[in-house]
Amino acid sequence: MNGPNSTPLDTQVIIGGAVLRNPTIAASGCYNRGFEFGSIVDVSRYGAVTLKSITRYPRLGNDMPRIATTPAGMLNAIGLQGPGIEYFLAHEAPRLTTVPTAVIASVAGFTVDEFADVAAAMDGLPNVVAIELDVSCPNVDREGVCFAAEAGSLARVVEAVKARVKLPVIPKLMPNVADLKPIARAAQEAGADAISLINAVRGMVIDVVRARPMLANRSGGLTGPAIRPIAVHAVWEVAQTITIPIIGIGGVEKGGDALEFLFAGATAIGIGTANFRDPLVHVKVIEAIEAEMQRRGATSVDQLTGLANPGFVGKPVARGAPVASKETQH
Amino acid sequence: MPTTSPQLQLATITSREYRPPGFWCVSIRCPDIARAAGPAQYAALDLPGGFAVRLPLGIFTVKGDDFTVLFQEWGERTTRLAHAAIGDSVSCIGPLGNRFSVPQRGRHAILAGGGLGVAALWLLARDLREQGVKATIVIGARSADRVVGVRDLAKHGFDVEVCTDDGSAGFAGTVVERVRALRRPDVIYACGPRGMLRALCNHAEREGIDCQISMEETFGCSMGTCWGCVVPVRRGSAQGTSYPRAPGEARDYDLARVCADGTVFHAKDVVWV
Repeated sequence: MNGPNSTPLDTQVIIGGAVLRNPTIAASGCYNRGFEFGSIVDVSRYGAVTLKSITRYPRLGNDMPRIATTPAGMLNAIGLQGPGIEYFLAHEAPRLTTVPTAVIASVAGFTVDEFADVAAAMDGLPNVVAIELDVSCPNVDREGVCFAAEAGSLARVVEAVKARVKLPVIPKLMPNVADLKPIARAAQEAGADAISLINAVRGMVIDVVRARPMLANRSGGLTGPAIRPIAVHAVWEVAQTITIPIIGIGGVEKGGDALEFLFAGATAIGIGTANFRDPLVHVKVIEAIEAEMQRRGATSVDQLTGLANPGFVGKPVARGAPVASKETQH
Repeated sequence: MPTTSPQLQLATITSREYRPPGFWCVSIRCPDIARAAGPAQYAALDLPGGFAVRLPLGIFTVKGDDFTVLFQEWGERTTRLAHAAIGDSVSCIGPLGNRFSVPQRGRHAILAGGGLGVAALWLLARDLREQGVKATIVIGARSADRVVGVRDLAKHGFDVEVCTDDGSAGFAGTVVERVRALRRPDVIYACGPRGMLRALCNHAEREGIDCQISMEETFGCSMGTCWGCVVPVRRGSAQGTSYPRAPGEARDYDLARVCADGTVFHAKDVVWV
């Protein structure tokens, strides 16, 4: 793509102080501990990989079936299966050094204290550059508590975690709310360094032969290209109200999808379910972003951020000259 | 049970054969997967269309650079594969999953296949033949018209016994009933419906026979990352998670991923819930 004499494109992005080599991020829950896909693809081409969420205590997760395929998507209800933080630290965290790119740890909890305790335990682990808060998993019963559903609850979690960790903190929000904007603002005001948008969308598939929901958990989280327009709109809307970076997630499976998220106002792109179908999706996405940078004469990725969003209020770190088309919009 | 390192390969569809009443045997040219494939391993195929996940299918037969998959036309992905054109490209990840362990020369094995479970037995029969293991193959289906793979399996020279639930061909009864009536083997290998596997595991346990089963689930990732295809296994068994017991957790078992820790499990390790 670059001629022999041209300067290599600078694809680096900064997410709340975490420096990533490029804006592609493997989304939580799809890349487990970061190394599995390394047997068939180059994981180092990812800017970062997000771990499957870790909870305070071990969890066996939901009963089977946990997965149903849907049109242009997949419904899952794994139920935060995992070893708990103590086992993770003792047996799994040492292997994070073998992940060939930056790692974002994901924390899930049922109380404010659980979030804070697990996040604090993750702070400072080798290779870990940021902590994502899974405050919006659609597949677990939190006795009525879904932190991302209400601004006050979310703010309490973010504040408690921020008080305990040095790494950037990234709450992951969900679209299943009446108005995302006040919730995103609450995250920013509570000290979040960035936000991830969106988590899986709550959904259901019914087995019409047995006349009962397909998944043992009954409802699940819908992912894949089916949810992409929901996610792009969520990013577009929230990018008009907060200034911290947004990681846009939802149904990205090719370069053009990633550009939609960048143009809507995302600083980085989460890639989840698409890894299952095309494990090389991240390479294709970063090559498409590089091609778009060249086409527009952009010298950094953040010059593409918000191009389609006249109300974009984010303040990307200025590096290099602004893109002409962007100037006309601001 | 042994594993291999999978590969991501662009392969070509070389033939497709309809087998009434709704089965297909599709041949895919992919030398690396064909050469590396072992008994009970599978390939995950990426098909054109609006699918979010791959179609995982057991590797049935292997010949030269080609491997075949045997499947029923059922959902949208299998329909797409059944009607692919010769020469079409298909992205494959494989061989995936672990393999049946082959015993020592001179031992006697029973290979039990129910329905499309026969697809896991061809490579096993090949390897048992090469190893000098004596084997009897018992396959079954609801009725004579739904029995698939007899000619393919017979290629390795072992006896292939057919069972049908309605008695329209071979032994009138289930695979499990037939296996119980046969001379006690040193090992039972099985792939098929859940009820058949469970009954065979019970039989093997009562008789003290080594038994390995290849299990099926709906897969998400096929790579061991999403935990969507778990099977309960005895606490502490090698293939399962070894997490501490969760507080307040009533379920007393570990979980294993069918896609990556299996698909083959020892009967004694599987917990039937």
